[in-house]
Amino acid sequence: MASRPFKTMLAALGATLLAGAAAAQEPIKIGVTQPLTGAFAASGNYVAQGAKIAEEEINKAGGVLGRKIQLIVEDNKSNPTEAVATAEKLIVKDKVPVMMGAWSSTLTLAVMPKLEEYKVPMLVETSSSGKITVSGNPYIFRISPTSEMEAKAFTPLFKKLGIKKADFLSTNNDFGLGAAKEFSEAAKREGVTVGVMETMDPKATDFSAQLAKIKASGSDTLFVTTAVEQITLLLKQAKDQQLIARIITTGGSNSPDQLIAQAGAAANGSYHLVFFTPWFPEAVKNPDIAKKFVALWNEKKYNVGGLTEGFRGWDGIHTIVAAIKAAGKAEPAAIQQALWGVKVQGINGDIAFIKQGPAGKESAQNVPSVYLVKIEGGKVTRQ
Amino acid sequence: MRGEGSTEVGGLRRGAQPAYAGPIFTHLRCAGGRENAAPSFDLKRSVEQLLQHCLNALILGGTYALLGIGLTLIFGIMRVVNFTHGELYSFGAYAMYMWVMVSGVNFFVALPLAILLGVLLGAAIEFLLLRRLRGADIDTTMLVMIGAWIALQNIEQLSWSGVAKSIDSPFPASPLVLGPVSVSWNRLFVFVVALALIAATYALINRTKLGKAMRATFQDRETAALMGVQINSIYTATFALGSGLAAAAGALLGPVFVVYPTMGDLASLKAFAIVILGGLGSIPGATIGGFILAFMEELGAGYVSSGYRDAMGFLLIIIILLVKPTGLFAQKERIG
Amino acid sequence: MRLVTLAWLAFLFSIPLWMSDLYVLHVLIMTGIFIIAAMSLNLLLGYTGQLSLGHVAFFGIGAYVSSLASLGFEAHLLPGVLVKMEPKPVWLGMLCAVTIAGLCGWVIGRISFKVRGAYFVIVTVSFAEVIRLVALNWVELTQGPMALNNIPALRLGTPELFELSFLRKPANYYLVLVVAVLSYILIRRLVQSRAGRAMIALRENEPLATSVGVDVTKYLVLATMVSAAMAGAAGAIYAHYVRIVDPDVFLFIYTVTMVIMVVTGGKGTLAGPVVGGLIFGLLPEILRAAEIKPEVQWVIYGVLMVLVVYFLPEGIVPAVRNWRRRHHEPATAAAPPASIEPAR
Repeated sequence: MASRPFKTMLAALGATLLAGAAAAQEPIKIGVTQPLTGAFAASGNYVAQGAKIAEEEINKAGGVLGRKIQLIVEDNKSNPTEAVATAEKLIVKDKVPVMMGAWSSTLTLAVMPKLEEYKVPMLVETSSSGKITVSGNPYIFRISPTSEMEAKAFTPLFKKLGIKKADFLSTNNDFGLGAAKEFSEAAKREGVTVGVMETMDPKATDFSAQLAKIKASGSDTLFVTTAVEQITLLLKQAKDQQLIARIITTGGSNSPDQLIAQAGAAANGSYHLVFFTPWFPEAVKNPDIAKKFVALWNEKKYNVGGLTEGFRGWDGIHTIVAAIKAAGKAEPAAIQQALWGVKVQGINGDIAFIKQGPAGKESAQNVPSVYLVKIEGGKVTRQ
Repeated sequence: MRGEGSTEVGGLRRGAQPAYAGPIFTHLRCAGGRENAAPSFDLKRSVEQLLQHCLNALILGGTYALLGIGLTLIFGIMRVVNFTHGELYSFGAYAMYMWVMVSGVNFFVALPLAILLGVLLGAAIEFLLLRRLRGADIDTTMLVMIGAWIALQNIEQLSWSGVAKSIDSPFPASPLVLGPVSVSWNRLFVFVVALALIAATYALINRTKLGKAMRATFQDRETAALMGVQINSIYTATFALGSGLAAAAGALLGPVFVVYPTMGDLASLKAFAIVILGGLGSIPGATIGGFILAFMEELGAGYVSSGYRDAMGFLLIIIILLVKPTGLFAQKERIG
Repeated sequence: MRLVTLAWLAFLFSIPLWMSDLYVLHVLIMTGIFIIAAMSLNLLLGYTGQLSLGHVAFFGIGAYVSSLASLGFEAHLLPGVLVKMEPKPVWLGMLCAVTIAGLCGWVIGRISFKVRGAYFVIVTVSFAEVIRLVALNWVELTQGPMALNNIPALRLGTPELFELSFLRKPANYYLVLVVAVLSYILIRRLVQSRAGRAMIALRENEPLATSVGVDVTKYLVLATMVSAAMAGAAGAIYAHYVRIVDPDVFLFIYTVTMVIMVVTGGKGTLAGPVVGGLIFGLLPEILRAAEIKPEVQWVIYGVLMVLVVYFLPEGIVPAVRNWRRRHHEPATAAAPPASIEPAR
């Protein structure tokens, strides 16, 4: 029967798995799971590029604890089940003591039970859903703002921008629905009428039907929450249908430079909530670091549109390495402990964690900065 | 707001500790415009919305018809369920990307070039893969086409990566405004070219010698062969033509949307729906089927639920097959 | 033959005892789940000759039903009709999964065997796609693209007396192995029975079979139902092992993977899906170890599929059997002919 092929295959499998052992000064592995393909591919690749810059920079400066660091980047294909598979592979096969990921809230939420199962901490660099830090998972360390924080930061602007009635269009996942919920509640608190709340599949490319509906609602502002690919299409299609409402995107995955490059004039007049302002690095908390990062990014000839996303990877890896340094060893429990005490000068601002969620099983949340920018005449302007 | 100073908004930094203490967040209750869905009924706006939906559907229908005609030709004449159809669609879009964005060729020159590449790829697939399977049963050819589909899609992913690409189009950014509704110049161009290609296909089938031979093969392969029709060349021509139409649809829609490796999957499935709707092998059926599907999708998305937009076609298939398995406009009995 | 089978089973059962690498076990578990699904597809594709390309729908339905039953849910079936269900034990959820998947198989069987050939293929593809879109958009029930997360692992017995928890890999490995062996025996029994002979007769020559009084619809529906229930079981095991399910479980590519396994191994043979499943379950890991990109792996799959259709149209198992018969004619002459697997 099937005996021979099976045995050979198993032998081959065993041999390849065993071959990786030993070597004295092995680098410290850091697992990274990002959407490198699929619906959020652009953003995931930018974050991975930012992380790679940090890796190179840290290794050039001699690494940490006398060892080099090595990022193992796995593609979670923008899919939650794949995200779990990458976490399984990174933890069980590569035996990484700490991870960074997984971009979208849904992907991060998917990975979380695995962190608990194997007791490995993960730094969350992008996800915004409130659920992540309140579900009692003590292995979660989030440096990105929650939708609630964003909405809170935005609250005074409802009046300043003169918003009377707002519609919401968001991607149909934790990221989009979470933001729509927080922003619509904030709007109601400010006395703003909430019009239609539409959703779109993360993979959809044609929003003409939703836009026709939104146009008919007659609101003055449309809040959009999704990744840059869909925002680009949306801006173009909104222009095609002559949507007059002002478009504001939330979530910081809007890459305004990429919008200008790809949506052209259709991007003019749109507002974007971002967490890093590479156009005016002097405005951020740690301008020197920001300028250095922008220089390294440009040196690599990476897409300039990716800066607002790539910084997350850089901040994340630097935070992890600071924790490894403080822990004195590259072990999950020690790193988890040390992360609570880190103070890192990041591109977004100073990174430090506060406790969130049920007592005894708190997750860690950073309090980041949020900025609003506007695209005018093909340029990003300060608001 | 206008002034200079910090771009930072809100007072988050001032030690504001977000107030989470409450129970664990369980489920986020559902999407979609249930709350405040229709604040006030406005007749003028509603009519405008309906007109806009209809215009969108009409424009979309043109490319759907292109996709459907390509697939139905191949099935009708060759009895091949072509799973590579969607790949030809995405290939057309990538060819367009390559010419316009990488090589910097003029948009209007790139379009026929992309279609030509689709025709050539189609001819190659027929020559290399299908020619050897002449006379094989329908399931065998289907398996080969599935294999080819997987290989092609992943070659695309290898060559262009999984990140979606966008193609610049030379059309003005402001749309064409027709009273209360508007349409972008790019989509209008897509529609016009699609109609022109459909007309050209009709003319090819009905007015040329090649078309006559194709029709003869469609009706009775053996007799056609006896009458001196070169069946092999007819097959290659048919597959190339069908593939060219799919590539044209991709090349036209690539600049409107974005280009990514798996974009063909849904296109394939929709083309199947259109073909079943119109009856396998029927060109007028596929044309009308394309427009019917577009209207169903657009109106369904506008008035039922935008999430089920893509489900319309499949529901339609299942219903049609249960009620009238030969499709709406079949010319021949079904294969079974 | 019997001895070889026993030795094989003993070997498979011993693996968790000496294999300490959890990742290898993980790969074997996933492979095993896919083999069960491929075996179920083989019943339809190999024995009745119906190319069902929506098979993943039954797998996914099994996964979702079992997960929802064990997590509990509250959803509107129709506007105003609220259905609520408290969390049920996992084994009950799995039972529900098998039953409901089987029922779906029955319905689809009744409906779609009205149409054959290309139509049947497209109906099955559409069915899977509609189910995927429902899973994607019925957010209230399925959580849509946010996936059903934190699905509990299987537990048998009670905490007070004796509890068998399937949280760890070795336990899951045994679960998959046992279910796979049972499925194998079930299919073997079925195809050797009167019903099985009727199915094969239909595949070989439908008009002839009908003319001698074989009830086409009855046997095709029976095959679809058993096949769907088995795929549902595979889906349920999958859900409680990976503990997350999202609508992408219904993607066409998974059906294609199963089809490749069956066709390469040998459709209409008992061992075919097992051999094909092992090859295509383990191949990705071997390619990954050789640092070959997943895209290249899929290109290889696609090319392999084309090559198999050209050069081994019956699949590996029949090819090996024929080769053996030719080379060991005297040795195997005494063995009984493989009556259940007539040459095609």
